[in-house]
Amino acid sequence: MSDEEATEETFEESLKALEKIVRDLEGGGLPLDEAIKAYERAALYRDRCRKILDEADRRVQKLIEAADGARKEDFLTE
Amino acid sequence: MAETVTVRQLNERVRSLLSDSAAVRDVWVAGEISGLKKYPSGHYYFTLKDADSEIRAVMFSRYRPRLDFEPADSMMVSALGSAGIYVERGQYQFSVESMRRSGVGDLYLAFEALKRKLGAEGLFDAGRKRSLPPYPRVIGVVTSPAGAAIHDIITTSRRLFPADILLAPALVQGAGAAESIASGIALLNRHGVDAIIVGRGGGSMEDLWAFNEEAVARAIAASAAPVISAVGHETDFTIADMVADVRAPTPTGAAELALRDAGEIRRQLDSEASRAARALRSAADRARSRFAVLDSKLSPQRAAERAAMLSMRLDELSGRAASALEKALSSARSRLAVAESAAGARASPAEPARRELERFSERLEGVSPMSVLGRGYCFLTGPGGEAVSSARSLRPGSAIGIRMMDGSAEAEISEVRMDER
Repeated sequence: MSDEEATEETFEESLKALEKIVRDLEGGGLPLDEAIKAYERAALYRDRCRKILDEADRRVQKLIEAADGARKEDFLTE
Repeated sequence: MAETVTVRQLNERVRSLLSDSAAVRDVWVAGEISGLKKYPSGHYYFTLKDADSEIRAVMFSRYRPRLDFEPADSMMVSALGSAGIYVERGQYQFSVESMRRSGVGDLYLAFEALKRKLGAEGLFDAGRKRSLPPYPRVIGVVTSPAGAAIHDIITTSRRLFPADILLAPALVQGAGAAESIASGIALLNRHGVDAIIVGRGGGSMEDLWAFNEEAVARAIAASAAPVISAVGHETDFTIADMVADVRAPTPTGAAELALRDAGEIRRQLDSEASRAARALRSAADRARSRFAVLDSKLSPQRAAERAAMLSMRLDELSGRAASALEKALSSARSRLAVAESAAGARASPAEPARRELERFSERLEGVSPMSVLGRGYCFLTGPGGEAVSSARSLRPGSAIGIRMMDGSAEAEISEVRMDER
């Protein structure tokens, strides 16, 4: 899996993928080299989930009705 | 000459004039309550006023059970009663027998009618309720841009799972509010949000009225994104609450329902990560121990030990063979000596002895383990290199060595069968 593919996945998909890999690993049926690869993928998904969680700059915008439909504008409460 | 009457007589005359007049008897008067005093007797005294005028009013305790609300100052009411005079004080007043809140009666009827209608259409059915996405990326909010609700939602969301917030500004009370809220819901749906919070901070039933209107109910029901209602009112349910997929008591509560706690998710992630690491460690341990078993069998040290053991065994066997040969030779020699002395000087007196010696040599060939091996036999050695002579010492899985004429082999016992005796 390339990094590019990983960035397109949502948090939920990443978390689900992580859960599945952990279950597979815990099943104990994987040969060692595959277990190592699975662990590396698990670490990738975990880091990606953490990154999403740590994103500080979430946007707060408001929709403004305009002549050509609606557009978004930053919304500041302070 | 004008008649002279007492004060009391005058007041009595006015009272009877008033009480005979249908114009001021059993009339509804609309106005605002002010200066309300509730006496221990249970009577209520207050002033009813409107923009232009005012009148003292009294409601006696016996009429109070007719009220379905608790009167308070500033409340707009319609009061049913008659104008009269309180003779002892010559005070003109309105004696109230019943009272209802202005407008509320009509609103209540409209609420009940809409509730019945939408309920019959199935808009409140539990089966229609959708669950909220666990990790939404964009939360739409329909509320006033100036109200406390949007501020509470933004503040609360900071400690929750990160999501963008898209506000559709709306009027939340007054004329046009319902339509404004409904179009906000539709607008957010056109932009594609994961969930929508519709609401406002607390207020009186009248303030919240837009959330009891059909336009809002229809817009919520038609929303593609699941809707959380957050009409800040703990006790009463609005129609919007009933149609929404999830009801939150306040905008803060709505944000908490829409977005999961980030700390909780972090803990879950950490636990997944440590489970993965543990599983990998145990996979490595399993692989290592399987390898160790094989490795030990292949180690040069182990092979050298086995070779030394085998060569010691060979030495021992050949030693035994040599001494057996010695013994046979000396016995042959002594028997030859006896024969010579007995036979005296016969022709070729040594001939029989020589033949016997040859026979011994042949037998010795048979005693030598190596020559036996040459005939297709082999011998087994146990893990310590000792000869295995009894099937009793073997078990399935026992490791054995096989010594053949020109080399050796390692094998594992798959089955042991004892001879029957």
